[in-house]
Amino acid sequence: MTAAERTESGSSEGRLATTLETIDSQRAALYAVLLGLIAFYLSPLWGGLTTAFKTQTGFVQTTPLAPPTPEWFTLEPWELAFATMQGGLVNSLLFVVPATILSALLGSLAAYGLTKLSWRGQIGILVLFLAGVFLPYQSVLVPLRQFWSAVDLAGLLAFAPFLAERADLIELTVTHTAYGIPICTILFRSYYKTLDDEMIEAAKIDGASAFGIYKRIILPLSMPMFAVTLIYQFTQVWNDLLFALVLVTSRSNYVVTQSLNELQGSMAQEYNIQMAGAFIAALPTILIYVVFGRQFAKGITGAS
Amino acid sequence: MATLTLENVTKRFADGDDEIVAVDDVSIEIDDGEFLVLVGPSGCGKSTTLRMVAGLETISEGAIAIDDEIINDVPAQRRDIAMVFQSYALYPHMTVRENMRFGLEESTDLDTETMDGSVERTAELLEIEELLDRKPGELSGGQQQRVALGRAIVRDPSVFLMDEPLSNLDAKLRAGMRMELQRLQNDLDVTTVYVTHDQTEAMTMGDRIAILDGGKLQQVATPLECYHRPRNLFVAGFIGEPSMNFFDATLEGDELVLEGTELSYPLSAPIREELEGETELVLGVRPEDVKILDEATDDHAFPVTVDVVEPMGNENNLLATFEGSELSINAIVDGMRHVQADERYAARLPESAIHLFDRSSGRALHNRRIDDEEKLLETRV
Repeated sequence: MTAAERTESGSSEGRLATTLETIDSQRAALYAVLLGLIAFYLSPLWGGLTTAFKTQTGFVQTTPLAPPTPEWFTLEPWELAFATMQGGLVNSLLFVVPATILSALLGSLAAYGLTKLSWRGQIGILVLFLAGVFLPYQSVLVPLRQFWSAVDLAGLLAFAPFLAERADLIELTVTHTAYGIPICTILFRSYYKTLDDEMIEAAKIDGASAFGIYKRIILPLSMPMFAVTLIYQFTQVWNDLLFALVLVTSRSNYVVTQSLNELQGSMAQEYNIQMAGAFIAALPTILIYVVFGRQFAKGITGAS
Repeated sequence: MATLTLENVTKRFADGDDEIVAVDDVSIEIDDGEFLVLVGPSGCGKSTTLRMVAGLETISEGAIAIDDEIINDVPAQRRDIAMVFQSYALYPHMTVRENMRFGLEESTDLDTETMDGSVERTAELLEIEELLDRKPGELSGGQQQRVALGRAIVRDPSVFLMDEPLSNLDAKLRAGMRMELQRLQNDLDVTTVYVTHDQTEAMTMGDRIAILDGGKLQQVATPLECYHRPRNLFVAGFIGEPSMNFFDATLEGDELVLEGTELSYPLSAPIREELEGETELVLGVRPEDVKILDEATDDHAFPVTVDVVEPMGNENNLLATFEGSELSINAIVDGMRHVQADERYAARLPESAIHLFDRSSGRALHNRRIDDEEKLLETRV
């Protein structure tokens, strides 16, 4: 902790203590601890944010947590970072959105098949899905690269030049979809197990087919869980660098995490630009959370 | 409109390496338009039987037929049946109208107008028109129950199945719905199988009742026949509230000696002849047939001490103990009659009202006498 922070949190503790003295000293202590924790967790974020608004000399001469003074205040890092990352942002959106939606949708279908339909060998399949959740990224890098080398996607898509150029991104879409299905399946499965079996049976007796039941009953009731998986998968896929490093070869297909990496200067460390870039890269995941947050809360508490 | 036939229907479940027979060789024929109640204690196989008819469980052995067409291999979707579930099983994301229309949309090719027409007519019948645009979550239990019924009725199926549809309602509402369901079933005249564990529902609602225990069919008969002519000990004990009194008794000469007591109950010759030589018996008598007298006047009456009096208003339920023994007996006396707890009385078991069962097999050897048998037992509710 820096000196500045210590005095800051100290004074707010003092204020709290005086206002809450009459109520309960234990409660005051609790709030003091909580405030301390908030300061502890937010200080890196705060430091990053202040740095992103400082000039090169500014962040060298001040402590990271000190707010930018007018003399060293600038928006330039944001402009520079955005200019470099523009392409990466677009590329990322191009593959993250379909990969997220596909893995959620396929995961939900698989979970439906594993909970509400009866057929032989379910346990075996479920075990495979479970194993898929625990498969580390690193362990599949080599076979993954070999697989996509064997499947010449760009060649296969030669009839449509636009798609052929984006073959790297399509490979990423497929890979992340496949990698995301197990966790989505497990999440949806736990949710579907709570759905009333009698309701499914009622639909069956009402004449609905297995897919009809999925489309008209299960899918509309899955929205809270879709919010959970969409947020989780979007964040996961958006933040991934490893698969992109292995699969994306052409510079024009660089995704956001790769372009963020590009901000790292070779001579001097331009922390202000890197920090601005980090915030730009994180923005879409924050937006997704804001959009689906309400549904997300419903999904994880199991309310429908 | 259809008849429903169950022929030697058996259901076995695998339980690890063991096999559980949930339904054992059940055969019932249900007439067109009949209201059959399947009743029994929990785990007796009644719900499994219903689910086999619905197509939600496979049939291990035997056959189920609607109008002589065997439906064993017809999937639930195409059986032309409708079912009301205990939990109502409404689709929570759909309005009442959509809930009721769902079955029509999935199982028929009707146009939207015809479907909406049927939904509205059914809603009127059930007096839920004003709920059509609400969602199930906004309805009370009783209203949800009506919607669940409406969803079944609107399909106009050949067979209705109901799985304890009233058990989630409070007692008052349940009594009302019991009557209404009967009225509806009468008006619609659709063959109905109704599952319940509640013997009151079984007695009051069914044209006939089928009593199951341990997966085996115990008796299929009209409610009053089950009540007055139980085929075995189980039926005698299950039907009737409070339950029939049972006493282990041994036939010695022309008297029944009640086990564990000195009491002996003289048995007339015609009844003795019905016993097929069995001597290890169970004597049964319904509480309402037990007469509570001030003192023993004949040899079918025995001195008792009244332990508990439960005033119900219209009647008093008594629990009394035979003098000189631990044996107790339930009796019902008129509500206007004053009976004092801890006082001595006499309990008279009229010979015309007693049932006798073979103790080892439980089979009924003698049932009570009914004066106007034909009139009483042939009446269908």
